[in-house]
Amino acid sequence: MDGGGIRIQGLQKSYGSGDTAVQALKGVDMRVDPGEVVGLIGPSGSGKSTLLKCLGAVIEPSAGRMTLGEEVIYDDGWRVGDLRALRRDRIGFIFQAPYLIPFLDVTDNVALPPMLAGRSNFEARQRARELLQALDVEHRARAMPAQLSGGEQQRVAIARGLVNQPPVVLADEPTAPLDSQRALGVIRILNEMAGKFRTAIIVVTHDEKIIPTFKRIYHIRDGVTYEEEGEGRAPV
Amino acid sequence: MISLAGRDIMHAWGKFVFTGLGLGLLIGVTLSMAGIYRGMVDDAKVLLDNSGADLWVVQKDTLGPYAESSSLYEDTWRPLRGLPGVARVARVTYLTMQVRQGRREVRAMVTGIEAGGPGTPGWPPYLVAGRQITRGHYEAVVDLATGFALGDRLEIRRNQYTVVGLTRRMVSSGGDPMVFIPLKDAQEAQFLKNNEAILQQRRRTAENPSYNRPQVPGLLEAVIASQSSNPSVNAVLVQIAAGHDPQELAERIRRWQRLTVYTRGQMEEILVGKLIATSARQIGMFLVILSVVSAAIVAFIIYTLTLGKIREIAVLKLIGTRNRTIAAMIIQQAIALGGIGFVVGKITATLLMAPIFPKYVLLEPLDSVRGFVAVLVICVLSSLIAVRAALRVDPAEAIGG
Amino acid sequence: MKILSFGRKNLALLAVLVPLLLLFLFVAFRSGPLAPVKVTVVTVENRGLAPALFGLGTVESRYTHKIGPTISGRIRQVTVQVGDLVESGQLLGEMDPVDFEARLKAQAAVLARSEALLAEAGARVAHARREAARYEELWQAHATSAELREVRRQELLLAQAGLEAARQEQARGRAELDALAARRHDLRLLAPIAGLVVARHAEPGTTLVAGQAVVELIDPASVWVNARFDQVSARGLAAGLSAKIVLRSRPQESLSGLVLRVEPLADAVTEEMLAKVLFAQLPTPFPPIGELAEVTVALPPLPSGPVVPNAAIQRLAGQTGVWRLVDGRPRFTPVEVGGGDLEGLVQIRAGLAAGERVVLYSAKALREGCRLAVVAELPGAGKK
Repeated sequence: MDGGGIRIQGLQKSYGSGDTAVQALKGVDMRVDPGEVVGLIGPSGSGKSTLLKCLGAVIEPSAGRMTLGEEVIYDDGWRVGDLRALRRDRIGFIFQAPYLIPFLDVTDNVALPPMLAGRSNFEARQRARELLQALDVEHRARAMPAQLSGGEQQRVAIARGLVNQPPVVLADEPTAPLDSQRALGVIRILNEMAGKFRTAIIVVTHDEKIIPTFKRIYHIRDGVTYEEEGEGRAPV
Repeated sequence: MISLAGRDIMHAWGKFVFTGLGLGLLIGVTLSMAGIYRGMVDDAKVLLDNSGADLWVVQKDTLGPYAESSSLYEDTWRPLRGLPGVARVARVTYLTMQVRQGRREVRAMVTGIEAGGPGTPGWPPYLVAGRQITRGHYEAVVDLATGFALGDRLEIRRNQYTVVGLTRRMVSSGGDPMVFIPLKDAQEAQFLKNNEAILQQRRRTAENPSYNRPQVPGLLEAVIASQSSNPSVNAVLVQIAAGHDPQELAERIRRWQRLTVYTRGQMEEILVGKLIATSARQIGMFLVILSVVSAAIVAFIIYTLTLGKIREIAVLKLIGTRNRTIAAMIIQQAIALGGIGFVVGKITATLLMAPIFPKYVLLEPLDSVRGFVAVLVICVLSSLIAVRAALRVDPAEAIGG
Repeated sequence: MKILSFGRKNLALLAVLVPLLLLFLFVAFRSGPLAPVKVTVVTVENRGLAPALFGLGTVESRYTHKIGPTISGRIRQVTVQVGDLVESGQLLGEMDPVDFEARLKAQAAVLARSEALLAEAGARVAHARREAARYEELWQAHATSAELREVRRQELLLAQAGLEAARQEQARGRAELDALAARRHDLRLLAPIAGLVVARHAEPGTTLVAGQAVVELIDPASVWVNARFDQVSARGLAAGLSAKIVLRSRPQESLSGLVLRVEPLADAVTEEMLAKVLFAQLPTPFPPIGELAEVTVALPPLPSGPVVPNAAIQRLAGQTGVWRLVDGRPRFTPVEVGGGDLEGLVQIRAGLAAGERVVLYSAKALREGCRLAVVAELPGAGKK
């Protein structure tokens, strides 16, 4: 597709050095287009976490290239630009557990990323409310995270991941604590949001219930990815 | 940007306030310690102020009358009075002794004050109840700290004194409250032995053949009378007439009267520099210990609070929060804790500790300001450990692990 | 937005923090050196005063008679005990005469001898007179020479002189005997007045020098109090003033007295004036001589004038004055202090008028214009 989304080519990551070196990623290729939701599936020890961290600009790969839209993030192991600002402005995160900030209410939890990005409090909250409305949790805007149900918390977390309208969102096991109905609900929301904000969303999961919902899935095994086009997949 | 620290404190304010209360008690003790030192210095200054003197004339080569014993013939004042520049002189005696009232005994500094009127050097400069001494004998003005009340009958040696006035903040350099009685009574009290001793001495004198001579009737009586009278005082207080230089006058008295003379500055040096130096060092040591303990507590509390938020900090970092913002959050919390602690400390020191402490505790506003700054500095320094821990948190921890 | 988001928890937080802050502000500004000084205030009023002087004295006897022998010797008996009342002329004691009788006998013998010598001289004069008369007759009859007549005349004159000498010698002997007999009277110690024996210094058998006292006598009616007043405050002490005397052994009992005289000699060493105060009525039981007494002499009353308690009088920068209350702030006002009474009130001669309010008690030393908090009574000053 065109220049949006995230692309990685030949991404390698090894820990340690010499004889004890472990190569977690052995050459990963991936491509997610704007508005697309793809699944990333792999067993423990497959390099899934390492890949997620590389994608999330938390650790740097040893080799390979990664571009975010037009922007080159890594090129053959070289870092280009400020990873922290990159995480703040260009990447949204949704975690296995919601990981909301317990001492901020729902609105401020969602408004935090735009505030960090330098927007005014008013503007940030405005955006947060829009997102909460879109995710149908606006009625809990004043509540503290501890007062929310699991599903509500997860939706707030999604709102936080999407509030800065990042080109790419990483969702790490977002449905793990949820029953199948809610899990499917979350995936439906992600799909809606991806369409709405033209965001590329990568969902890391091993949740059997939701795997069929992805049009495209990357399997990762022993540090190598395999792409699987979804044919005959269940509609969301 | 919202205040993360403020929101966190609001979220867990109970923990914060109670920790602050605990820290506050510690800070209260620290402030009280400083107040005790200030109080001792102030006691010394008040002691000098209250004596109303510009010069203290004492026995040659002594540090009297407060730091060392000094004894002068009571008529020493006469040549001093005649010197040009001397406005007033008054003799005074000081003796720390037990004062009894019924079965109760109080350690007090009995001060003999010259007959005259209010304003005579050595007299209590102000009262809180009763009146000044009007009779030349057997009346006393006492400091409130003695616990005596108006109308009480005190026993000093073998004489009884009626409390006619109460005063405040009149203590010796050792912290003993003062009891003012007329000079002649005080001289007697200072040197009068108990009756048993007097009888013994009379007997000894009478057995001495050189004194008890049949050819010279009356010699024995004369000797005994001279033995039991006391013509000594501890110091002569001198007030200087306007326009005269205390140093110059002091030098003249030193040179021609062959007495030791102290000016106000020198006296303060003796009291503050010599008498309370040891106590000051002890208090300084306590201050250091308390500061270290406070610092350790703040460090521990902030560190614990931070460790409890490691996950949140990782998330914050992952979504792009600056290290500076996170460090500021922790330091702000430490400062808030210090602030609560300081407020509580100041309140407890003033309302709880100072009134019940047996010595005078002077809480100077400037000391409070210094204490506040010190508390903040200590809080910031002790939060650095927590800051370091927070900065070492890997944002990757938020992702799956 | 933020205000609206204040929930119950935030209200609770406020409920803790606001009082804490208020308390802190109170503590910071209402206590310690910044706090206003607590004072009590008194209004100057016009009234007369009854000033008085207070002094200490000892009960003394105006006259003390020390009775002792006029010659050295051993005392034989003392007939009175301390505390005895004696009559005038009563025997108090007697000295041992030792060799007195023998000396008397010797003196009598000396007298007898001189009388014998006188008789002999008389006989000699008679013989010389006869011889002189005979030779006179012979010479007129020219029976003898003028020379022999002169010799006889001369002999008569010598005999007459011898007789005069013997007569004087006899008179001397008699006088000495009388003197010795009179000394026997001196051996008896007699009371010169009716009085009280207060001391007995010697017991029988003691050898005394002349002038040493054996017993001391006083006249109970002549006791007075020898009172001492500090020179600084003894202004107005004069004879004729009435006084109150309290004996140390009877502190509840106030005896009336009268200042008999103020001694012209003051005590230069103790810097006191001395005065003799008589009892208006002798106390019973009789007070021991030497007992301590407190004497309060009432001075003539002072006319009405502005009066303040002496606790209000203070000294600042070499001036005596009071802290006057002006618009709620203290202002030091120099005053001229007049007389005062023993209850602590003093009259103000100049500088203050009745109706003005002055600071009486203060919790600490005042400064010009400092903040004050006027209270009814200072903390801790309550009577028990």
